[in-house]
Amino acid sequence: MTERGTISSAPSLRKDGAGERPFSRVLIANRGEIAVRISRACRDLGMEVVAVYSDADEAAPHVRGADAAVNLGPAPAAESYLRIDAIVEAALATRAEAIHPGYGFLAERAAFARAVEDAGLVFVGPTSEAIAALGDKLAARRLAVAAGVPVVPGTLEPAPVDRPDQVDAILAEADSVGYPLLVKAAAGGGGRGMRRVERRDDLPAALAAAAAEARSAFGDGSVYLEREVRPARHIEVQLIGDDDGTIVALGERDCSIQRRHQKLVEESPAPGLGRDERRRLHELAVAAARAARLTNAATAEFLFDSDREFRFLEVNTRLQVEHGVTELVADVDLVAEQFRVAAGRPLSARILEAASRASDPGRHAIEVRLSAEDPARAFAATPGRIGTWAMPSGPGVRVDSGVEAGSRVPPDYDPLVAKILVVAEDRPAAVARLRRALAETQVTGIQTTLPFLSHVAASEAFVSERLSTDWVAEHWDGPAARAAAFERAATAAAAAVGNGMAPVAGRLAATPPASAPSGWAATGREDAVDRWPR
Amino acid sequence: MAAVTTGDAAAAAFRVTPAVASALPGDEPFVVEPPAEPPRDTPGVVIGSVEVTAPSTGTVEVVVDGWRFELRVEPERRARLRDRATRDRAAGHAAGSLEVRAIIPGRVVSVAVATGDAVDAGQELLVIEAMKMQNELRSPRPGVVERVAVAAGQTIELGDVLAVLGPPAESPA
Repeated sequence: MTERGTISSAPSLRKDGAGERPFSRVLIANRGEIAVRISRACRDLGMEVVAVYSDADEAAPHVRGADAAVNLGPAPAAESYLRIDAIVEAALATRAEAIHPGYGFLAERAAFARAVEDAGLVFVGPTSEAIAALGDKLAARRLAVAAGVPVVPGTLEPAPVDRPDQVDAILAEADSVGYPLLVKAAAGGGGRGMRRVERRDDLPAALAAAAAEARSAFGDGSVYLEREVRPARHIEVQLIGDDDGTIVALGERDCSIQRRHQKLVEESPAPGLGRDERRRLHELAVAAARAARLTNAATAEFLFDSDREFRFLEVNTRLQVEHGVTELVADVDLVAEQFRVAAGRPLSARILEAASRASDPGRHAIEVRLSAEDPARAFAATPGRIGTWAMPSGPGVRVDSGVEAGSRVPPDYDPLVAKILVVAEDRPAAVARLRRALAETQVTGIQTTLPFLSHVAASEAFVSERLSTDWVAEHWDGPAARAAAFERAATAAAAAVGNGMAPVAGRLAATPPASAPSGWAATGREDAVDRWPR
Repeated sequence: MAAVTTGDAAAAAFRVTPAVASALPGDEPFVVEPPAEPPRDTPGVVIGSVEVTAPSTGTVEVVVDGWRFELRVEPERRARLRDRATRDRAAGHAAGSLEVRAIIPGRVVSVAVATGDAVDAGQELLVIEAMKMQNELRSPRPGVVERVAVAAGQTIELGDVLAVLGPPAESPA
C-alpha cells in the first residue's frame, strides 16, 4: 500500500449543507475509464480518492492520480478486483468512508454491498437488499409482474439444469415460451451466461453451456428462459432515489445498437418516442423501482417492439457505462448525486428539476464505445499496447477514458478503452458532431472499433433513426469495409518505407486516396496475386 | 490477365504484404508504384510504428479510417526473385498440416478433441475465455487432429499453437 499526501480537512467552499462534501475520502473499487470518471466526481466534490489495482494496472492512469493506492493482487479479476475481503480491508486501512463500485466486477454483488455495510462503511449504490432483490433477474421479473409492469414473456423460476429427470419439464416450458428463445443467467448481465436457442434439440446443451459460463462469471449457475423479441429496440430509463423514498426518472436512453448483447452506441432521448410514450415509460420504470425500494442510481431496461409496447427486461442496480449520455442531456452529475444520496442527503433540487423536464429534454446526446476489438473479425478482443492516442475535443464533446498513449490494454478485463460522447440541440446536430469527433480520433498500436463507429455515424439507417437490436447484422460488413481501406494503407506504407521517410509527429505522408480505383492498382494487384506462392 | 507492371515500372515498384497472415479479404499482396509527387498529410491516415530493416524494406503500421494494418514493404524486384526461389518448394505443401493458433490471449476453458480425432469444418476444438467472454474455437477445415498443444486451465498468448490439424483421413472404399 502506498500513501500519498495527507488527509486534508479543508472546509467546504459553500456555506449551505448541500455544498459540503459528502465524504472526506472514498475508495473506488474499479479500474479503467469508470475509475477515472468517479475519481473526477470525487475531486469536484473535494473528496480524496483511494485507488485499487491489480498487477496488470500498476501504471494505469486511474492509479496515478489517487491520494492512496492499494495493490489487490495478480491480474486475473478473481484474484484482484473481485476480492471483497481485500477491498474492504483496503478501505479500512486507508480510512476511506465510502466505497464506489463503478460498474462490472462487484458492482451488483449483494454480498459486496453487505460486506461494506457490515464494515461500517458506506456503499455508494442501492442497499444490499435492493441489489439482491433486483440483481437476481428472476426475482426482478417476479417483482415487476407484481407491480403491474409488463415483462418479456418467459419463465419466472430457475431451470433445474442439474436434474436429468427434469429435462422433459424444461423442454415443455420452453415450448410454451416459444423459439427462438434466450437462456439467460439469473445473476447475468452484459451478455455473459446467455445463449440463443433456435431449436428444441439445442436447448439442453445451451442450458449447460450458459450455466457453466454463469457459474464461472458470477459464481451462480442459475438460468432461465426468455422469449427472444426481435426486431426490438433496447430502451432503458435512468433512475435515482434517496433514503426518503423519493425516486425519479431522469430520462431514457436508446441502446439498440448492440452486438452479443453488448451495447456499442447509446443515445438520449430515444428517437421517435412521443411525449406520452416517454412519460409512460418513465412511470413504468419508477413503479418497478419503487416496488424494490430502490435508492441511489439504477437503470430499468425495457424492450420496445414493433407494436410499440415497452416490456421490462431487468433493473441494473448500478451506474451504467452509458450514464454520461443522460448527464449531458439533463445537465447533471449522476456520480456526484450518488455520493450525496449515499451520505443521506435528499435528491438535489437540480436533479428534481431535470426529472421534471425528462419527457421533453430539448437536447440530444450520443455515446459510442471505443473498444479494443476488431470489427472485421466479429469484434474479437484485440489487447495490446496503444501507440498514438488522440481523442476528440471541442464544443459539445466529452471523452471518458482510462488509457493514454503507451498504455497496455490487458486481456484480463473489459475491452472498453474510451467512451466518446457528444451533445447538441437536436439529433441531426448531434450526429454531425459525432462524425466530427470520430474524424478527430486517432489510435495506433491496437485495432479498435473506430471504423464501425464511423460507419454508424455516417450510415443512412442511423441518421433516419432505423434502430434495432439487429442493426449490426443488417448494416455492417466488417471484412468488406476493411478491404476497402487496404489499398490506401498499402500506398501509405510504401511511401513510409520505400522513400526511407520517418513519421512526423505520428502522422505522415501518403498519396491521397484515388477517387476511383486506378488501373495500375487493379492490374498490379492481379499481377501480384497471380505470382504469389500459396 | 494483363500484366502492365513491366520493365522499369515494375523494377521501381514496391510489394506490400500483410506482416501477419490473415484470412480476411483484401489482404493479398499488393504492388504499389512509387508515389509520383511528394507525400502530404492525408485525412484518415495515421502512420504508427515504422521499422526499416534494409534499404526500401521494412514493416509499417498504418491506420486508415480506423483500420489497422501491419504491412511489410519490399522492392518488387527483390520479391520476384524470392518468389522464383520458393515456388517449387511451396507447391508440394497445399494439403499439409495446419497449425491452429490463438488469435487472442486468454485461458483455455476446455478442450473438445484429442489426438487422432477426425473433425469436420466448424466443429468445436476448444473454448477460450478472454475478456470475460467464452469463445468457442472451431475447426477451419476438415481433418484429423495430429496434436493438441494445450490443456484446460492453461494461459495462452497471442499466436500460441493450440492444435495441429492433419489432412482428412481417407474414407474407406
